[in-house]
Amino acid sequence: MTTIKYYWEDFIPGWEYESPPRTLSAQQITAFAREYDPQSYHTDEEAAKSSPFGGLIASGWQTCGVAMRLMCDGYLLQASCIGSPGLDEVRWSKPVRPGDALRLRSTVLEQTPSQKDQGRGTVKFRWDVLNQKGEVVCTITARQHYRRRTPAQ
Amino acid sequence: MQRKYYFEDFALGDVRDIEGPVVTKEEIIEFASRFDPQYYHVDEAAAEHSPYGGLIASGWHTVCLCMRVMCDRYLLNAATLGSPGMEHIRWLHPVRPGDRLRIKLTVLEAKISRTKPDRGSILHGWEVFNQDNRLVMTMEGYGIFSRRQHGPAT
Repeated sequence: MTTIKYYWEDFIPGWEYESPPRTLSAQQITAFAREYDPQSYHTDEEAAKSSPFGGLIASGWQTCGVAMRLMCDGYLLQASCIGSPGLDEVRWSKPVRPGDALRLRSTVLEQTPSQKDQGRGTVKFRWDVLNQKGEVVCTITARQHYRRRTPAQ
Repeated sequence: MQRKYYFEDFALGDVRDIEGPVVTKEEIIEFASRFDPQYYHVDEAAAEHSPYGGLIASGWHTVCLCMRVMCDRYLLNAATLGSPGMEHIRWLHPVRPGDRLRIKLTVLEAKISRTKPDRGSILHGWEVFNQDNRLVMTMEGYGIFSRRQHGPAT
């Protein structure tokens, strides 16, 4: 298994990570949507033209998936993360279109030690997904549980 | 294009019970390999030593599976204009290979837009259960729908 580099202690408020960009193609957008979110503005380029979005856009869940993958590749697979109790909020603020290059900016908002387990703690993050113009297309407020490097005394 | 469901068809308190899929091990690994390759989602042997004691689905996967059944049940037949977002997503219990999901959708809020009276916003509460009736996930999601009658907001 991979060596763990990041523990709960490392995610102090203000900690920030910014990923390299990942481009989403029309083919990737329609393939994902056919599986999980087959609304016509996600699956059909022609039909999407007469939709309120004026063209093909990615499912918001695909944007979340890309953000998650960028996070995994960036630091999460080297972290002591043991899961997530949930997300406080997901906001899709701008459509994601074919050719958009998405990057993730992850910022620590809060770091809370566990009350019942000295070996772990919770971190609250804000995950912003930005496009190539620097516009925020999606914002997620999330909590994750991490093991501590050293148990609380 | 004429649709079956408009804003008016989602009344406060309406409940829709939807049979979900059986989640397979192959699908769990395949989805997670693409989007969430943490070891307890992709590596069966390693997952046994995780806090979950075995392979579990990515929470994003559970959401996507529910999205799909919601599409098939009514969304593809609805005058939908997209979603601004979701709130209070809680992954309460792990989803494991072989689990059969069921989704209960409840209309929590129905509001006509003040700025665009031809549409309205519906807030759905999602409750996702497994075959043992255990609640595995809850979520609240907004959807924007066209109104059947384009009257002014009241």
